[in-house]
Amino acid sequence: MKKIQIILLLALVSFSLSAQKKTTTSASIFFDASTSIDALPKATNKTVIAVIDTKTGVVQFEAYVRNFAFSNPTMQEHFNGKKWMDADEFPKITFKGNISDMGAVDFASDGSYKTDVEGMLNVKGIEQQIKVPGTISVNNGILSISTDFSIALDDYGISGIPVQAGKVSKTPKIKVIAELR
Amino acid sequence: MPEKRKHVLKKLAIAIMIMIALGAGIYWYVATEKFADTNDREAAYTVSALDFIREFEENDNVANEKYMGKIVVVNGRVSEIEAADTTVNIKFINAVSGSYIIFAFQDQHVSDAKSINVGDSISVKGSCSGGTHSELLDTDFIMFKRCAINKN
Repeated sequence: MKKIQIILLLALVSFSLSAQKKTTTSASIFFDASTSIDALPKATNKTVIAVIDTKTGVVQFEAYVRNFAFSNPTMQEHFNGKKWMDADEFPKITFKGNISDMGAVDFASDGSYKTDVEGMLNVKGIEQQIKVPGTISVNNGILSISTDFSIALDDYGISGIPVQAGKVSKTPKIKVIAELR
Repeated sequence: MPEKRKHVLKKLAIAIMIMIALGAGIYWYVATEKFADTNDREAAYTVSALDFIREFEENDNVANEKYMGKIVVVNGRVSEIEAADTTVNIKFINAVSGSYIIFAFQDQHVSDAKSINVGDSISVKGSCSGGTHSELLDTDFIMFKRCAINKN
Protein backbone atom coordinates (compact mmCIF):
# COMPACT_ATOMS: atom_id res chain seq x y z
CA MET A 1 0.00 0.00 0.00
CA LYS A 2 2.85 2.33 0.91
CA LYS A 3 4.55 1.52 -2.42
CA ILE A 4 1.44 2.53 -4.37
CA GLN A 5 1.25 5.80 -2.41
CA ILE A 6 4.90 6.57 -3.24
CA ILE A 7 4.37 5.79 -6.95
CA LEU A 8 1.25 8.00 -7.05
CA LEU A 9 3.13 10.81 -5.30
CA LEU A 10 6.04 10.57 -7.76
CA ALA A 11 3.61 10.58 -10.70
CA LEU A 12 1.86 13.65 -9.28
CA VAL A 13 5.16 15.52 -8.75
CA SER A 14 6.32 14.59 -12.27
CA PHE A 15 3.01 15.79 -13.80
CA SER A 16 3.15 19.03 -11.84
CA LEU A 17 6.76 19.71 -12.98
CA SER A 18 5.91 19.03 -16.63
CA ALA A 19 2.79 21.23 -16.41
CA GLN A 20 4.85 24.22 -15.30
CA LYS A 21 7.21 23.82 -18.26
CA LYS A 22 5.90 25.07 -21.59
CA THR A 23 7.85 24.00 -24.66
CA THR A 24 8.00 24.17 -28.44
CA THR A 25 10.37 22.84 -31.08
CA SER A 26 9.04 25.35 -33.63
CA ALA A 27 9.97 28.77 -32.30
CA SER A 28 10.95 31.18 -35.10
CA ILE A 29 13.95 33.50 -35.22
CA PHE A 30 14.08 36.12 -37.96
CA PHE A 31 17.57 37.48 -38.60
CA ASP A 32 17.89 40.68 -40.63
CA ALA A 33 21.36 42.10 -41.34
CA SER A 34 20.34 43.74 -44.61
CA THR A 35 21.54 47.27 -45.42
CA SER A 36 20.72 49.91 -48.01
CA ILE A 37 23.35 48.39 -50.33
CA ASP A 38 22.59 44.69 -49.79
CA ALA A 39 19.17 43.16 -49.12
CA LEU A 40 20.42 39.55 -49.03
CA PRO A 41 21.64 38.96 -45.44
CA LYS A 42 18.24 37.86 -44.12
CA ALA A 43 17.29 34.44 -42.78
CA THR A 44 14.70 32.55 -40.78
CA ASN A 45 15.03 29.55 -38.50
CA LYS A 46 11.64 28.00 -37.68
CA THR A 47 12.84 24.94 -35.75
CA VAL A 48 14.16 26.61 -32.61
CA ILE A 49 13.61 24.85 -29.28
CA ALA A 50 12.17 27.03 -26.51
CA VAL A 51 11.27 26.24 -22.90
CA ILE A 52 9.63 28.52 -20.33
CA ASP A 53 9.24 27.51 -16.70
CA THR A 54 6.10 29.32 -15.59
CA LYS A 55 6.94 28.83 -11.91
CA THR A 56 10.54 30.09 -11.89
CA GLY A 57 10.38 32.40 -14.93
CA VAL A 58 13.40 30.74 -16.55
CA VAL A 59 13.41 31.17 -20.35
CA GLN A 60 15.66 29.05 -22.58
CA PHE A 61 16.27 28.84 -26.32
CA GLU A 62 18.38 26.53 -28.46
CA ALA A 63 18.81 27.33 -32.18
CA TYR A 64 20.78 25.21 -34.65
CA VAL A 65 22.88 27.54 -36.84
CA ARG A 66 22.65 25.38 -39.97
CA ASN A 67 18.85 25.55 -40.03
CA PHE A 68 18.77 29.29 -40.74
CA ALA A 69 17.29 29.43 -44.25
CA PHE A 70 18.49 32.20 -46.60
CA SER A 71 17.01 32.83 -50.05
CA ASN A 72 20.50 33.12 -51.56
CA PRO A 73 22.82 30.06 -51.59
CA THR A 74 26.07 32.07 -51.43
CA MET A 75 24.83 34.09 -48.46
CA GLN A 76 23.86 30.88 -46.66
CA GLU A 77 27.33 29.41 -47.29
CA HIS A 78 29.01 32.57 -45.92
CA PHE A 79 26.73 32.58 -42.86
CA ASN A 80 27.73 29.02 -41.89
CA GLY A 81 31.38 29.59 -42.80
CA LYS A 82 34.36 30.11 -40.51
CA LYS A 83 34.42 33.94 -40.76
CA TRP A 84 30.77 34.27 -39.82
CA MET A 85 29.05 31.75 -37.54
CA ASP A 86 31.53 28.89 -37.93
CA ALA A 87 28.69 26.35 -37.75
CA ASP A 88 31.04 23.35 -37.59
CA GLU A 89 32.77 24.62 -34.47
CA PHE A 90 29.76 26.36 -32.86
CA PRO A 91 26.62 24.56 -34.11
CA LYS A 92 24.18 26.19 -31.67
CA ILE A 93 23.03 29.60 -30.51
CA THR A 94 21.67 29.44 -26.98
CA PHE A 95 19.93 31.76 -24.56
CA LYS A 96 19.22 31.24 -20.87
CA GLY A 97 17.60 33.96 -18.85
CA ASN A 98 14.77 35.01 -16.61
CA ILE A 99 11.58 37.01 -16.89
CA SER A 100 12.66 40.23 -15.15
CA ASP A 101 9.37 40.90 -13.41
CA MET A 102 7.46 37.70 -12.69
CA GLY A 103 4.82 39.78 -10.89
CA ALA A 104 3.89 41.37 -14.24
CA VAL A 105 2.87 38.04 -15.79
CA ASP A 106 -0.08 35.94 -14.63
CA PHE A 107 0.35 32.56 -16.34
CA ALA A 108 -2.96 31.40 -14.86
CA SER A 109 -5.04 34.14 -16.50
CA ASP A 110 -5.61 34.81 -20.18
CA GLY A 111 -4.15 38.14 -21.25
CA SER A 112 -1.20 39.93 -22.79
CA TYR A 113 1.70 40.93 -20.58
CA LYS A 114 4.74 43.08 -21.35
CA THR A 115 7.96 42.23 -19.58
CA ASP A 116 11.72 42.26 -20.07
CA VAL A 117 13.73 39.08 -20.27
CA GLU A 118 17.33 39.19 -19.10
CA GLY A 119 20.00 36.55 -19.55
CA MET A 120 23.02 35.18 -21.36
CA LEU A 121 23.06 34.90 -25.15
CA ASN A 122 25.73 32.58 -26.51
CA VAL A 123 26.68 33.12 -30.15
CA LYS A 124 29.80 31.57 -31.67
CA GLY A 125 30.95 30.45 -28.22
CA ILE A 126 30.87 33.99 -26.79
CA GLU A 127 28.43 34.77 -23.99
CA GLN A 128 26.98 38.25 -23.54
CA GLN A 129 24.41 39.53 -21.07
CA ILE A 130 21.37 40.93 -22.87
CA LYS A 131 18.05 42.45 -21.78
CA VAL A 132 15.21 42.41 -24.28
CA PRO A 133 11.61 43.65 -24.18
CA GLY A 134 9.00 40.98 -24.75
CA THR A 135 5.29 40.27 -24.84
CA ILE A 136 3.81 37.11 -23.37
CA SER A 137 0.21 36.29 -24.23
CA VAL A 138 -1.64 33.59 -22.33
CA ASN A 139 -4.61 31.89 -23.97
CA ASN A 140 -6.08 28.69 -22.52
CA GLY A 141 -2.70 27.64 -21.14
CA ILE A 142 -0.89 28.30 -24.45
CA LEU A 143 1.84 30.94 -24.30
CA SER A 144 2.59 33.14 -27.32
CA ILE A 145 5.76 35.13 -26.96
CA SER A 146 7.41 37.75 -29.13
CA THR A 147 10.40 40.03 -28.91
CA ASP A 148 12.32 42.41 -31.19
CA PHE A 149 15.86 43.50 -30.46
CA SER A 150 19.25 43.89 -32.08
CA ILE A 151 22.74 42.65 -31.28
CA ALA A 152 26.18 44.02 -32.12
CA LEU A 153 28.09 41.51 -34.28
CA ASP A 154 31.35 42.82 -32.85
CA ASP A 155 30.28 41.62 -29.35
CA TYR A 156 30.35 38.06 -30.68
CA GLY A 157 33.61 38.30 -32.62
CA ILE A 158 31.90 38.54 -36.02
CA SER A 159 33.52 40.98 -38.42
CA GLY A 160 35.05 41.02 -41.87
CA ILE A 161 35.11 42.93 -45.13
CA PRO A 162 31.33 42.70 -45.89
CA VAL A 163 30.54 44.11 -42.41
CA GLN A 164 33.13 46.91 -42.72
CA ALA A 165 31.98 47.67 -46.28
CA GLY A 166 28.39 48.15 -45.11
CA LYS A 167 27.00 45.13 -46.99
CA VAL A 168 26.07 43.47 -43.69
CA SER A 169 24.58 45.44 -40.81
CA LYS A 170 26.84 45.74 -37.77
CA THR A 171 23.71 45.56 -35.59
CA PRO A 172 21.30 43.04 -37.16
CA LYS A 173 17.67 43.01 -36.09
CA ILE A 174 16.40 39.87 -34.39
CA LYS A 175 12.74 38.92 -34.03
CA VAL A 176 11.63 35.91 -32.01
CA ILE A 177 8.13 34.42 -32.12
CA ALA A 178 7.04 31.23 -30.34
CA GLU A 179 3.91 29.38 -29.30
CA LEU A 180 4.59 27.18 -26.27
CA ARG A 181 2.29 24.45 -24.99
CA MET B 1 51.80 59.37 -79.30
CA PRO B 2 53.45 56.59 -81.26
CA GLU B 3 51.07 54.35 -83.17
CA LYS B 4 52.34 51.21 -81.38
CA ARG B 5 51.65 52.70 -77.90
CA LYS B 6 48.15 53.75 -78.97
CA HIS B 7 47.49 50.20 -80.07
CA VAL B 8 48.62 48.75 -76.70
CA LEU B 9 46.49 51.27 -74.75
CA LYS B 10 43.46 50.39 -76.86
CA LYS B 11 43.94 46.68 -76.16
CA LEU B 12 44.38 47.39 -72.44
CA ALA B 13 41.17 49.45 -72.33
CA ILE B 14 39.23 46.65 -74.04
CA ALA B 15 40.66 44.08 -71.60
CA ILE B 16 39.68 46.25 -68.60
CA MET B 17 36.15 46.70 -69.95
CA ILE B 18 35.77 42.93 -70.48
CA MET B 19 36.97 42.29 -66.92
CA ILE B 20 34.54 44.86 -65.49
CA ALA B 21 31.67 43.33 -67.50
CA LEU B 22 32.63 39.83 -66.33
CA GLY B 23 32.90 40.96 -62.69
CA ALA B 24 29.51 42.70 -62.88
CA GLY B 25 27.98 39.61 -64.47
CA ILE B 26 29.33 37.29 -61.77
CA TYR B 27 28.19 39.70 -59.02
CA TRP B 28 24.73 39.97 -60.58
CA TYR B 29 24.47 36.16 -60.84
CA VAL B 30 25.56 35.60 -57.21
CA ALA B 31 23.36 38.41 -55.86
CA THR B 32 20.21 37.33 -57.65
CA GLU B 33 20.65 33.55 -57.36
CA LYS B 34 17.90 31.87 -55.35
CA PHE B 35 17.43 28.35 -54.01
CA ALA B 36 15.38 26.34 -56.50
CA ASP B 37 11.98 24.89 -55.66
CA THR B 38 12.82 21.75 -53.66
CA ASN B 39 10.26 19.76 -55.65
CA ASP B 40 12.34 20.43 -58.78
CA ARG B 41 15.55 19.17 -57.19
CA GLU B 42 16.76 15.61 -57.34
CA ALA B 43 16.96 13.76 -54.03
CA ALA B 44 20.30 12.23 -53.04
CA TYR B 45 18.60 9.75 -50.68
CA THR B 46 15.15 8.32 -49.96
CA VAL B 47 14.70 6.96 -46.43
CA SER B 48 12.06 5.84 -43.96
CA ALA B 49 11.67 8.13 -40.95
CA LEU B 50 12.44 5.57 -38.25
CA ASP B 51 15.48 4.14 -40.08
CA PHE B 52 16.74 7.67 -40.64
CA ILE B 53 16.38 8.56 -36.93
CA ARG B 54 18.13 5.29 -36.01
CA GLU B 55 21.11 6.20 -38.22
CA PHE B 56 21.57 9.47 -36.33
CA GLU B 57 21.06 7.81 -32.93
CA GLU B 58 23.71 5.20 -33.72
CA ASN B 59 26.37 7.62 -34.95
CA ASP B 60 25.47 11.24 -35.61
CA ASN B 61 28.97 12.09 -36.95
CA VAL B 62 28.65 9.52 -39.72
CA ALA B 63 25.02 10.45 -40.41
CA ASN B 64 25.80 14.18 -40.56
CA GLU B 65 28.67 13.53 -42.93
CA LYS B 66 26.31 11.55 -45.16
CA TYR B 67 23.16 13.71 -45.15
CA MET B 68 24.05 17.30 -44.19
CA GLY B 69 23.31 19.74 -47.01
CA LYS B 70 21.73 17.00 -49.16
CA ILE B 71 18.20 16.83 -50.53
CA VAL B 72 16.53 13.87 -48.84
CA VAL B 73 13.08 12.32 -49.20
CA VAL B 74 11.74 11.03 -45.89
CA ASN B 75 8.71 8.74 -45.74
CA GLY B 76 6.78 8.36 -42.50
CA ARG B 77 3.66 8.84 -40.44
CA VAL B 78 3.06 12.34 -39.07
CA SER B 79 3.41 12.39 -35.27
CA GLU B 80 2.91 16.07 -34.59
CA ILE B 81 2.17 19.36 -36.33
CA GLU B 82 3.42 22.51 -34.64
CA ALA B 83 2.56 26.13 -35.31
CA ALA B 84 5.63 28.08 -36.44
CA ASP B 85 4.87 31.78 -36.86
CA THR B 86 2.22 31.84 -39.63
CA THR B 87 3.31 28.43 -40.95
CA VAL B 88 3.47 24.89 -39.59
CA ASN B 89 6.26 22.38 -39.04
CA ILE B 90 5.69 18.66 -39.45
CA LYS B 91 7.37 16.12 -37.15
CA PHE B 92 8.10 12.40 -37.30
CA ILE B 93 8.84 11.14 -33.77
CA ASN B 94 10.34 7.85 -32.60
CA ALA B 95 7.80 7.05 -29.85
CA VAL B 96 10.30 4.90 -27.96
CA SER B 97 13.35 7.19 -27.83
CA GLY B 98 11.62 10.54 -28.27
CA SER B 99 14.04 11.51 -31.07
CA TYR B 100 12.40 13.44 -33.86
CA ILE B 101 12.73 14.83 -37.39
CA ILE B 102 11.32 18.29 -37.98
CA PHE B 103 10.49 19.84 -41.37
CA ALA B 104 10.20 23.59 -42.05
CA PHE B 105 8.55 24.31 -45.40
CA GLN B 106 9.47 26.46 -48.38
CA ASP B 107 7.04 29.41 -48.73
CA GLN B 108 5.33 27.99 -51.84
CA HIS B 109 4.68 24.64 -50.08
CA VAL B 110 3.28 25.92 -46.77
CA SER B 111 -0.34 25.52 -47.91
CA ASP B 112 0.34 21.83 -48.74
CA ALA B 113 1.85 21.34 -45.28
CA LYS B 114 -1.19 22.95 -43.65
CA SER B 115 -3.48 20.39 -45.29
CA ILE B 116 -1.66 17.46 -43.58
CA ASN B 117 -3.07 15.85 -40.44
CA VAL B 118 -1.48 13.92 -37.58
CA GLY B 119 -1.45 10.21 -38.50
CA ASP B 120 -1.17 10.80 -42.25
CA SER B 121 1.46 8.74 -44.09
CA ILE B 122 3.40 11.23 -46.18
CA SER B 123 6.61 11.77 -48.08
CA VAL B 124 8.59 14.97 -47.42
CA LYS B 125 11.45 16.27 -49.52
CA GLY B 126 13.84 18.84 -48.06
CA SER B 127 17.34 20.08 -47.41
CA CYS B 128 18.83 18.24 -44.43
CA SER B 129 20.56 20.63 -42.01
CA GLY B 130 21.87 17.75 -39.89
CA GLY B 131 21.11 16.26 -36.51
CA THR B 132 22.24 16.97 -32.97
CA HIS B 133 21.31 16.49 -29.32
CA SER B 134 19.10 19.00 -27.56
CA GLU B 135 20.38 19.84 -24.10
CA LEU B 136 17.02 21.43 -23.27
CA LEU B 137 14.85 18.45 -24.20
CA ASP B 138 17.54 15.78 -23.71
CA THR B 139 16.68 14.21 -27.04
CA ASP B 140 18.18 13.82 -30.50
CA PHE B 141 16.64 15.73 -33.38
CA ILE B 142 17.21 16.17 -37.11
CA MET B 143 16.25 19.36 -38.94
CA PHE B 144 15.15 20.07 -42.49
CA LYS B 145 14.62 23.41 -44.21
CA ARG B 146 13.00 24.43 -47.53
CA CYS B 147 10.75 21.36 -47.52
CA ALA B 148 7.94 20.30 -49.83
CA ILE B 149 5.38 17.54 -49.65
CA ASN B 150 6.91 15.08 -52.11
CA LYS B 151 4.50 14.42 -54.96
CA ASN B 152 6.90 12.56 -57.26
